[in-house]
Order: sequence, then structure tokens, then C-alpha cells
Amino acid sequence: MNLSYHDSSVRLDRLQLLALAGLMFIGTAFVYSATMANASAALLPWYDQSWVRQILWYAMGLAAGGVLCLVDYMILLRWSYVVYWLTILSLVAVLIPKIGSTHGWGARRWIDLGFFQFQPSEFGKLAFILAAANFLSRPLDELRQPAIFWKGMGLLFLPFVLILKEPDLGSALVLLPTGLVMMLVAGTPRRYLIRLVGIVSLLATLFVVDVFYLPKGWWQLPMQEYQRDRLAIYFGCEYTHFAPSNATPAELQRLRQKELDDAYNVRQALISVGSGGLAGKGWRQGTQNALGYLPRAVAHNDFIFSVIAEEEGFVGSVIVIALYSVVLFTGLRTAGQARDRLGKLVAVGVVTLLFSHVFINIGMNIRIMPVTGVPLPLLSYGGSSVLVSLIALGLMQNIYIHRKGY
Amino acid sequence: MLFFDQFKKNDPQLRLLAVLLTAGLLVLLGGLWWVQVVSGRTFQNHLEVQSYRSIRMPAVRGKILDRTGNNVLAENRPRFNLCLNWDALRGQFDSAFGRARKEAVAVQKERIASAEKALGRSLTKAERKQYVINAQQTEWLRAQARWQVATQVVAEVSQRMGAVIVVDPVKLQRAYATRLAMPYPILADLTPEQIARFEESFTNGLGADLDLQSERFYPLGTTAAHVLGYVRRDDSSEEGEESFFSYRLPDYGGISGVEGRFNDVLRGTAGMESVLVNNLGYRQSETVWSQPEPGHNVVLTLDLDIQRAAEAALLAHQGANARGAAVVMDVRTGDILAMASSPTFNPDYSQNDPARMADLILKPESNRAMQENLAPGSIFKTVVAIAALENGLNPNEVYRVQANPEDPDKGCIFVGRRKIRDTAPPGEYDFKKAFIHSSNSYFVNYGLRAGVENIVRVGREFHLGERTSLFPGHETGGNFPTLAGVQDGDWRDGDTANLCIGQGDIAVTPLQMTVLVAAIANGGYVLWPRLVQRVEPMEPGTGQGGTNYPSGQVRDRVIVHQRTLNILRDAMRADVADKNGGTGTAAAVPGLNICGKTGTAQVQDGANHLVGYNFWFSSYAPYENPRYAVVVMVQSTGKGSGGTVCAPIAHDIYEAIQRRDTAPLARSLAVRD
Repeated sequence: MNLSYHDSSVRLDRLQLLALAGLMFIGTAFVYSATMANASAALLPWYDQSWVRQILWYAMGLAAGGVLCLVDYMILLRWSYVVYWLTILSLVAVLIPKIGSTHGWGARRWIDLGFFQFQPSEFGKLAFILAAANFLSRPLDELRQPAIFWKGMGLLFLPFVLILKEPDLGSALVLLPTGLVMMLVAGTPRRYLIRLVGIVSLLATLFVVDVFYLPKGWWQLPMQEYQRDRLAIYFGCEYTHFAPSNATPAELQRLRQKELDDAYNVRQALISVGSGGLAGKGWRQGTQNALGYLPRAVAHNDFIFSVIAEEEGFVGSVIVIALYSVVLFTGLRTAGQARDRLGKLVAVGVVTLLFSHVFINIGMNIRIMPVTGVPLPLLSYGGSSVLVSLIALGLMQNIYIHRKGY
Repeated sequence: MLFFDQFKKNDPQLRLLAVLLTAGLLVLLGGLWWVQVVSGRTFQNHLEVQSYRSIRMPAVRGKILDRTGNNVLAENRPRFNLCLNWDALRGQFDSAFGRARKEAVAVQKERIASAEKALGRSLTKAERKQYVINAQQTEWLRAQARWQVATQVVAEVSQRMGAVIVVDPVKLQRAYATRLAMPYPILADLTPEQIARFEESFTNGLGADLDLQSERFYPLGTTAAHVLGYVRRDDSSEEGEESFFSYRLPDYGGISGVEGRFNDVLRGTAGMESVLVNNLGYRQSETVWSQPEPGHNVVLTLDLDIQRAAEAALLAHQGANARGAAVVMDVRTGDILAMASSPTFNPDYSQNDPARMADLILKPESNRAMQENLAPGSIFKTVVAIAALENGLNPNEVYRVQANPEDPDKGCIFVGRRKIRDTAPPGEYDFKKAFIHSSNSYFVNYGLRAGVENIVRVGREFHLGERTSLFPGHETGGNFPTLAGVQDGDWRDGDTANLCIGQGDIAVTPLQMTVLVAAIANGGYVLWPRLVQRVEPMEPGTGQGGTNYPSGQVRDRVIVHQRTLNILRDAMRADVADKNGGTGTAAAVPGLNICGKTGTAQVQDGANHLVGYNFWFSSYAPYENPRYAVVVMVQSTGKGSGGTVCAPIAHDIYEAIQRRDTAPLARSLAVRD
């Protein structure tokens, strides 16, 4: 198994690379479309424009992923706990006001490195996968021990809670299916998993019922107002439900107006996607984004799919989903052919993480998921997200290169 | 499948994962199919509703032309308004707001600092809240910023234009809130100098623009005002037109006259423009969905020279407050060559004095040529004459008029116990003499002898008491007894006597009398009068074809012997031409043989008190080859007679007709018929 770089390059998963290239091409094109519609953004020098930066991030991500392919993943993953704890450190750091930056959004998610707005939660997801893979690849007997199970849980809930604290509900939530699937594939006994799923669902149900459906006056989980509002919109619950019982009509009116304003993004995203129709309006011809109905701040990142769907229609949506399918299923194939459980678990983790992102992000564009700030991998504008995705997929290639029989 | 085959058979977890992924992706695809393909139209509509504003673009209103088609009576004139262009000012609004907000934030910080100093501790979150700039204050700051920028621009514009421009802050903010996609006018109806000045000094975008609108314009002022009618601002949709618009540009709707009656064809079909607006409502781009189709031109039968002469004659002889009318008709075709009514008004309606327009005596809007019921007086004797002559009256038979016991210089006649006074002296009268002196006694006597049924029958043959249909809805049919009405028991000889002298149960319009006298002139043909020759596309060869209204449409033919007409015409000729003093001699024009009949009807109020007179002159010319029927009517409270008040007006009109027909380049009336 002492293969040279030259040899390994011929064993790359080319189909997956092709799909990635397709996604990156689409990403560049629509970050361009989404940002150039804004007159002031179009006036920026070329090197400051989002699409150029996006290409830069792609290049850096590809480079990082490529470098990671040079060394056998088994060697790389020895460092996974180091990476995990470093990330935990950055997740703690981001919560400290002087270090973490809010960008005026109310949530403390970024560490300003000058040239780069570092988003620890993005890296936290990958770090969790690596650490969990390492942890879960122990012998099956050990996985049956409750102590190991709860340790694994701890591994999951530490970044989960820290990310939730930022708050970044979406990023925290994607950790749950990722962890669950990895445990399942690792061979954790069914009863633990069923219990886990049961408890999580029960808690989630209780949570939703508590927040939205209990009569006023009962105890309610303390929550950030904006988070509650976002969920309220998703569950079709009226804001006035949260009003104190002695609220004046003016206050109720204010709440209704707020509800309308908050539902705005969702409604506009839905109009964008729907008005795209079958064939779309053509690249850079979408009006929702150009006219500012789709808020400019989110059009090129969280809601990039709206722009694609409006301009390329259902056809474009199918192409995007097809490309993701190729990435996901080649990832599954890699998992199936992985040399060991470590590689298999990393591959499965990455596939689940990507899928969760895709499902939540596209889902919120068509209102089957609540709005949470989850980027669409490789398509949304954003350095951290692009870097993490490409590094994760680089690892995937690494596992494929060193798969069974090679 | 490609991927599934590669999973080891003993790896159920991966298979489960593959199934889950497939399911998830299918859910997404299904959702997208639902949103984009199945409900695509719905969302497309949502998008249109929120980002398009439709604007009604009025069509160019058709012109109204005289009978030659060359002289314009009503047309459109460009009107330039100076407008603020919201889109262009948007950047300035934003930066002004930014500055204002900065200041507000500084003030807020200062106040918090001083409050903290006073308390000696930092404020709690709740205490801080009262200093924070809330949404309402932000909105107020925005409005202030807009007002500041707008006044600045207006001041700049007003300095460069050298005109005082006043802007109402309330209106401005309301326009911003409701009509952001439309320019906001700040200076209306620029003079040519102002336009030139604007074009010179505003090459750089200051946020102000010229906005072109079309305004109805009557180049000849008050000429033919009653025929033209007037328009009023009316932006509403016509039938069959798109009825929902976000905005409407100014348009006109005809209210009366030809403007009103032919509003549909004059107005054309409005077009529709849609404006794409951004999320804040600023205008982004325009698309014209349908071009407006210009209205059609309406070509009248009016002869401008005669029309002007008729109006000038009324004005010259009776003054601007005269209540009268003059109608000139071609007796061969029914074409109305002139229709004047006094007092007149300005078709450019805003130019009129509202108090005068509301005057219940003057009633300037009323077209007295066809909109008022008037007692005809002696001009109705033409009808009585026909009835009597057709029923055996020998024109040479002499009738002796007795003297009025109370006024021996005048004649009178007793009908039953009632005495009907005469203006003519007592003595012996044959038909001609009785006609030219308008002897009441003679006509009452022979009218009674002919019988009221015969008079009514002849009157009905002339279609008295019926509308001429010249202007449906804008015309009265007058009043005339029916055969059944006179045959019932309540009709008395006194009523017949009244009818014989054109009083009592009879009311006519000058237009009806014109048709009547034209029928006497043309051999008994009662014509449909015609005011509109044709409706034609504005540019020949474009749009749908127009409509031609045929001339010389015969409504009815009066059954009358030629001999009777000849006797009557001779008598009418004598009334104007007789050296011994017919009543209508003031109308005489050398070189033109005019036939006429004067009339003076008494107007009584409800209590039978004399409140005024209707003076009439009903005529046609030339005697040999009749072409023109001219009827003049003046309502007055003063003394006078048809011969002294109306005949001179007819005289002026005939002079104009004569001038026109003998001019070297005289246009034949028949040219465009």
C-alpha cells in the first residue's frame, strides 16, 4: 500500500469530481447573477466581487482537499481529536464578545481574521465527523457498553450546545442526523439508537407543543425571540399567540405586522422558486433578486437556490439535485468500498452532513423546512462553508484512493 | 443500480442510508415539481402583483373639424409639466437619511451618557430602550430626509427656471407613499420659454424631468361652443377596456355637445403600460403592453363662415347676454350649416365664470337651438296657412277685421266671449296681406274654419312635437297636440284660436322650425337634419374605417298641393320684400330673394302673467331656388317683435351667406356632400 502520488491520481473518483466541478460552475455563475444585479455591488473592483472571491475559495478548497489526498487518511485521522478540541476552543472563543463578531445579525458566529470571516461552526461539523469516526471505529463490543455510548453522546452534544449558544440552530441541528447515522453505520446496538431517536423526537415534540400550542400562562422554554418567530412562521402559528394577555390592540397589530415582515423572506423565496416555472427566466433574468424582493443580504448565500430556481426553473432544480445525488451516492459507494470502518464512517458522516445541508436548505426554499441559516454546500457564497465542503470531499477522495483492494 | 450493486450484501446500514437519501431527494424533487411546475402560474401571478404596476395610457382624442375637414374646432395641445423623478432622487434620499440617522444616533448617545452621569450608574436594558431610535422615528427621519432633498431640488429648479414653485409637504409625502412609480408634478403647464430654459439648464440629472400630457384645446375659442360641448377630466375605463389599473394618466370624457355624443369614437382606446417596480416601489423599467389607439376625427356639417356670422349677428344685435339661437340648414340636404346659441360659453370649461354658468336665467350651457320648449307665435301661421289653403281657403277672399273697441287702431276677433287682440290694424285682408301683417284675426278665423284637426294633421306631418334626432338625449321634442287630444271633449275653440297664432298648447325649438321652413322651401320634404358628416380615422388609412352619415335623408313628405306651397312662398317673399311694410323687411338683402315669417310669442308664467316674449324669424332663400333655411329666435323680457329683433340678425346671416357664395373662390356647398 505504499503508493506514489502519481499512481493514486489515476484512482480518483472521477464521477464525483465531475459533479463537484459542475456544482462549482453553477455556484460561480449564480453568485455572479445574485450579486451583479445589485448596482452598488457591480461597481466594486473585480477582485472584491463575490463571484471572484467564490472562485478563490474554490481554489483554496481544492488545494486543501488535494493536499489532504497526498497522505493516507489513516495517518491524517490520528489528529482528529486535536482538530476536534481546537474547534471546540474556537467555538468557545466565538461566544466571547471581543472575539466573536455578530455582523449585526444578532448571532455571534464569526471570528474576524481580517482577510477571512472565520465561521467555527462550519469547521465544527467536520471536526465532529472526524472525531466521531475515530471514536466509533473501535471494536463492536465496546460500542455495546453504555459508558462508550454516553461518551459518544458527549462528543456530539458538546459542539451541538456550543453552536446552539451562538445561536445557529441550523448548524447545530445538522449534527444530529450526522451523529445518528454514523452511530448506526458503526454498529451501535439498535436499542440505543431507538432510545436516542425516541428521546430526541419526544423532546422536539414537547418543545414545539410547549412553545406554540400550550395555553398562555404555562411555563415556556426560554428562547431567543427571533428563533421562536422563525419556527412560528414554519408551524403557521400566529405571533399574537405570544402576546401577553393584557396586550393593547396596537401591540397586537405590531405583532401581526412583524409576522408579515418575518414571513417576508420565506414568501419571497417561494415566489422566486415558483415563478421560475418549468424552464426558468434565464440567467441573470430573474426579477425577484434584481428588484430586491429577495433580500440582497441572503440572495447569494442562504437563498442562492431561489436565484437558481427562478432563473433556470424546474430544469435547473433537477440539474442541481442530480449533481448532489451524484456526489452523495458516489460518497456512499466510497463508504461501501472503504478499507476500514474509520474510512467508512468518515465517508458516511460527510455524505449525511452534505445531505442534511441540501435537504434543509432547499427545503426551506419551498417551505417544507423552517428557515435556518444553513448554507447550500458549494453553491452558497461563503469561505468557511466552501472550504469545509471541499476539505471533506478531499477526505472522501482520500478514502476512495485507499479503498479496498488498492 | 450503479451504486447499489457495489454495496456489500451484508451491509444493511448503508442500504438503509441509500434508501433514506433517495427518499429525501425525491421529496425535494416532488416539492420542487409542485412549487415550480404545478403552482408555477400562481407564483408567477404573485410576482406580477407585487412587482408590476399597470398604467392606463389615454389615447389621443380625435379632432372635431368643420365641413371642409380643414378647419379645426377642437384638438389637442401638448402640455408640459415639470416633475420630480423619484428614481433619480433615491440616492439623495438615502444619503440624506444616512446623515440624519447619524446625527440622531449621536444625540441618542449623548442623552444616554448624560442620563448615566445623572444617575451615577449605567442604564439597564429597559431604561436604555426609551432612548433608542424606534421604527416610527426612523420612518420620520426618512420622511424628513425626503422633504429636505425635495425642497432642495425644487429650490434649485425654481431658481434656474425663474419661477416660484410651491410644494405641499403633505401632498409630496402622500405621492411618495402611493404613487412612487409615477413622476410627481411640481410645475404645471410650462410656457415655451420655460421649456426652453429647462432644456438648456438641466442637461445633468437633477432629479427633475419634463412630463408630456395632452390637453384639449379649442383653437377658435367660443365658436360653436354649444355644438362642440366640453370635456371633463375623466380617467375611468371605457366599456370593453381593461378596468383595473394601478395608475391612470389624465384623460378626458366628453360631457355635452359633440364631445359628449361622440365621446366613444373621439376618445379612442386607451393603451396599457406596465411598470416594473423594485421592492421599495421605485420604477425600474417600462413595457408597453398595448399601444393606445387614437380616437377618430369627427367632421361636422358646420360651415365656419356662416357659424361665425350667426354668432356675431346675435352678439352684435342683442349683446352677450342675449338669450337666443340661430340655425342655418341646407334645405336640400338637411346639413346644419350653423347652429348658434347665446349666451355662449368657453368649451375650455375652466375658463368660464362659475357664477355665470349657474345663472338660472342665462343658462349659458343650454343650447337654445334645440334644448328649450318655446312658443312659436306667428311663425306657426305657415302651418295654419297650409291647413286652410288645403281645405278650401281662397287666398283672394277678403276678410274684414273689426276694430278693437278698446284700441281702435288695432284689430281684434271674438271667439265665443273671448277677445283676441291683434297687432295689425282693422280693415280688409286677403291672404297675402294678412300674412305679411301677421293678422291674428284673419288666421284665427280661417284656422277655425279649416278645423283644428286639419291644423294638427299638417303639424304632425311636419313632425312637430317630435325630436329631430339630431342629438339624441340632448334635444327636446317640443309640444304639439295630437289628433286624439283635440277630438276629446275638452278641446275648445279658444284653444284652436290660440293654436292658430302659435300660442297655448304648442312648443317648438328653433331646430324644428328650421326643418319645417326647409320643408316648405324644398317642396314638402321633412328632412332628418345632419350635423356630423362622417367619423374618420385620425390618419387616413390607419385603424378601422370611419362612418359616413348620409345626407338628404327624408323623414317624411308633407301631402300638400304645389299651388298651396306657391301661395305660401309668395306670401313669405312679400313679408320680407313688400314695399308697403311686411313685418320681415329688416332681413332683406339686396341680390338675394329671402322668404320669411316673423313671430312674437307671449310667454306667460304659471299664473298667466306676461313675463316675456319669444321673438322669431323663420325664413329661407333664395326664393327661386331654395338652398338655405335660417331661423332666428330671441327670448326677451322687453318690448319688440320678431321683425325688429330677429329679422336684422337673419339679415346679417344672409349677408354672410351671400358673401360666401359670390366670393371668387366660393366653395360649392355640394362639394363634400
